[in-house]
Amino acid sequence: MTSRDPLSSGQKYLGGVEAEPPPGPARAGPPSAGTPLLQMEDLQVDLPLGGLFSRAELNILAGITLDLPAGQTLGLVGESGSGKTTLARAILGLQSSTGSLAFEGRPLATSADFRAIRRRTALMFQDAAASLSPRMNVAEAVTEPLVIHKAMEGAKRRDKAAELLAEVGLPADMGARFPHELSGGQARRVGVARSLALKPALVIADEPTAGLDVSVQADILNLMADLKARHGLSYLIITHNLALIRHVADRIAVLYLGRLVETGPTARIFASPAHPYTKSLIAAEPKPDPRKRRVDLAIKGEIPGVLRRPRACAFHTRCPLVQDICRTEEPVLRTIAPGRQARCHLIDATN
Amino acid sequence: MPSDASAPVARPEPEPGRERRAAGRALYRSSLRILLKDPMGAMGLILVLVFVAMALFAPWLAPYDPIKLDVMDKFQGPSWEHWAGTDQLGRDLLSRIIYGARTALGIALTSVGLAGLGGIVLGMIAGYGPRWLDAILVLIFDSVSSLPMIMLALAVITVIGPGTDTLILVVVTVSIPAYARLIRAQTLGLSSADFIVAERAMGASSVRILFKHLLPNVVGPLVILLSMDVPIIIMLEAGLSYLNLGVRPPIPSWGNILYDGYTSLRSAPHMVLFAGAPLVLSTLGFTFLGEGLRDALDPKLVKGGA
Amino acid sequence: MSEPVLSAQGLRLRYPGGVQALRGVTLEVQPGEVLGIAGESGCGKSTLAGALIHLLGAGAEVTEGAVRLKGEDLTALPERRRRALRGREIAMVFQDPLTAFNPVLKIGAQLTDFQINAEGSTREKRARAAAMLAKVGLEPELAMARYPHELSGGMRQRAAIAAALLMRPNVLIADEPTTALDVTMEAQIIHLLRELQGEVGCAIVIVTHHLGVIAELCDRVAVMYAGEVVEVAPVDDLYHAPLHPYTKALLACDPAVLEANTGRLPTIGGRLPDLTDPPAGCAFAPRCPLASDICATPPPRVRPAPGREALCHKVAP
Repeated sequence: MTSRDPLSSGQKYLGGVEAEPPPGPARAGPPSAGTPLLQMEDLQVDLPLGGLFSRAELNILAGITLDLPAGQTLGLVGESGSGKTTLARAILGLQSSTGSLAFEGRPLATSADFRAIRRRTALMFQDAAASLSPRMNVAEAVTEPLVIHKAMEGAKRRDKAAELLAEVGLPADMGARFPHELSGGQARRVGVARSLALKPALVIADEPTAGLDVSVQADILNLMADLKARHGLSYLIITHNLALIRHVADRIAVLYLGRLVETGPTARIFASPAHPYTKSLIAAEPKPDPRKRRVDLAIKGEIPGVLRRPRACAFHTRCPLVQDICRTEEPVLRTIAPGRQARCHLIDATN
Repeated sequence: MPSDASAPVARPEPEPGRERRAAGRALYRSSLRILLKDPMGAMGLILVLVFVAMALFAPWLAPYDPIKLDVMDKFQGPSWEHWAGTDQLGRDLLSRIIYGARTALGIALTSVGLAGLGGIVLGMIAGYGPRWLDAILVLIFDSVSSLPMIMLALAVITVIGPGTDTLILVVVTVSIPAYARLIRAQTLGLSSADFIVAERAMGASSVRILFKHLLPNVVGPLVILLSMDVPIIIMLEAGLSYLNLGVRPPIPSWGNILYDGYTSLRSAPHMVLFAGAPLVLSTLGFTFLGEGLRDALDPKLVKGGA
Repeated sequence: MSEPVLSAQGLRLRYPGGVQALRGVTLEVQPGEVLGIAGESGCGKSTLAGALIHLLGAGAEVTEGAVRLKGEDLTALPERRRRALRGREIAMVFQDPLTAFNPVLKIGAQLTDFQINAEGSTREKRARAAAMLAKVGLEPELAMARYPHELSGGMRQRAAIAAALLMRPNVLIADEPTTALDVTMEAQIIHLLRELQGEVGCAIVIVTHHLGVIAELCDRVAVMYAGEVVEVAPVDDLYHAPLHPYTKALLACDPAVLEANTGRLPTIGGRLPDLTDPPAGCAFAPRCPLASDICATPPPRVRPAPGREALCHKVAP
């Protein structure tokens, strides 16, 4: 694999740098935490390009090194095409990956490991209604994880469903409905209820409020916060919605074309974003205040496809600060301050 | 109170098991309602039920023994005694037609059912299994379906002789690829659907995903196709029997009645008429039913129509 | 104020099944302004957008009122006349631009076809299409030779805007034009609409649930709730001195207004009224913190200052 991809020799070298950080906490977890709930080390995903005998692969993600400490919320931010959903699927083993993954301190390698992690995690989908089997009613849907893991007696199914629905603020008689009869907010709540069924340690939420009205969005976010407090959950929230992630995440990791470009505590990243991409993203978010209208454009163009990944720094085609070095040399993810990392050649110069 | 919670509906709380069955029934009941609202679908259903009843209750419905000869009474036209007249050997034509439904539907439904089952199994394996297995199966489907059914039928009949079993064997072999390909396409499309990924993320086994979640969502279109294929098989059986390559006499079949009728078309034209009518009507019935099912099984229409 | 270029007068619209989606909407669009229509799903904002150009959903029926475009009542015109007005006088951009294009024709051919009623040779029409594509920030020759599916979401939305503006209409109606796009592309489309509005000079009506988009782009805002316009205000007033309790609640629960992690967001309890049987009084009263007995009666339309109105008992005139 290393020989095929001109970039990965650099990646390998990088991995070494990241594995042995300079003094001071460089990993994405806070220094005080014990073993993180979830650890990713140099995670990489390549998809086969198709064809029965073809071995060509397309690199989607590389060099993802991230920790999620127990009880925290990690926000994974990026535009569509940045690989954030692929990362979520790789964590659960729904997508094969290389590199190392560990959950609750135990490495995940075999399919049995991933089966075990699926019992301790839950995945919430962007399109909540589509994630519910169209021919199952709500009561069956929310108790499905219990049935799969034989964690419940058959007779208790209805009680359990009512209990789970109550937990997310839905009446028990909602159990008889079918997915197509639910409103957007209701489907989302059913999705939350189902993810709680097995009392998971980690909930991975892919765009948990996409397509919802602001008032319903606020309801769902409050519900997620309550459940986190009540059950000691950790969240990995995947979104492109900065207003949302600023509100809920302890730390964020910004992805661009399958590479981490910046990680750090949410408040500090929003206060002083280090990477030009992070800056542009924050500036691009429309502010609900006409007095803060932006006059110039923060960022132009769109994210290039993974098939046309720019050489060297992947962001150089859109970067307002681009220099010659960005077109020739791939930047590494470096620790720029305690608990903060960024992948940019210009950070020393700009900070 | 959440902003989007529905108002509680006042109705008795059903039992857990019954609740689930009732929910399933509700979904099917609304499909049936849509089918019956459509005049073509309703007519198709009625015709099909009439023929199924004929086949099931032939011994009670038929006024005479269909193979009992009465040479004295041969080539009689319709009368109070023989509503559809008699054939060249004096057998009661109505009885033969009623028993013929048994032959026709027996062959058609058996072969379509077996082929459907084979199609589901192979199609789901191809659609959800490893890609290399899919590639091999698709190659096999394509090879088999490149053989014309009638040529294959004639070849197999030449080798192992005509008969009901031969017919069923040929039909099943030739039909499986089409059904399997339909199921494969449906399965492939659904296997990346969110609710299937959700099942995998919850740790569900492949068996559970295949049978509990994929199967109910992929059979709808197949049921429609099967229903539309039944008349083709009926026609094939009639055609081969007409050529004396299908059902062996004296077992009554619409095809060999038709043949007998043609040989004596001048003297007894009623035979062709009475043997042709059930062929036409059953073909129409199954085709209409298939068309009606196409709409009735569309979950989007169930939404709007419910 | 000058003569409005487009206006709805007491518009009532009903869907089959008896849903009263619009319940007496009166709204004026001034020449060259950007009017935002804000509200949550089910408030009737998209229905209103369609009604303003008389593209009604299946079975929808205007039961009362009028939509006046340059003095002509769209609801009463024959369809042939409406078709002539669409494109030339009024045009629309949708949330998903893929559905607005014919999938088997290249963009260039479609933009030429859209000018079917215009004068000029095919060559002139192609040139006009190319010029408009350049104006929306696309490479004209490249974009014209593409099929709709070969363009990214953002490029497609640009092409859709180019198509809508081809005939230089006086009014452009945009229904959730940025909802399907990424933040960076959303910002670019907002920027583009602002630029084009200055250049082409048409009035723009933006329908969206995204309060940030409205704040970035609009001059005036109409807030809708349960099929009615509950507040109209200049954009700065709406965000800094909202009158209607619903507007206040809506602004408060947008997480984008909060700078820090506060733990909990304000929400609007309760739910939308059933529009098959709308309440006689204020539709928002059951969810309103200020509601009192008087709110069971139809609320007055209060106009406390020029250009401002609110449909509420509790707003002082």
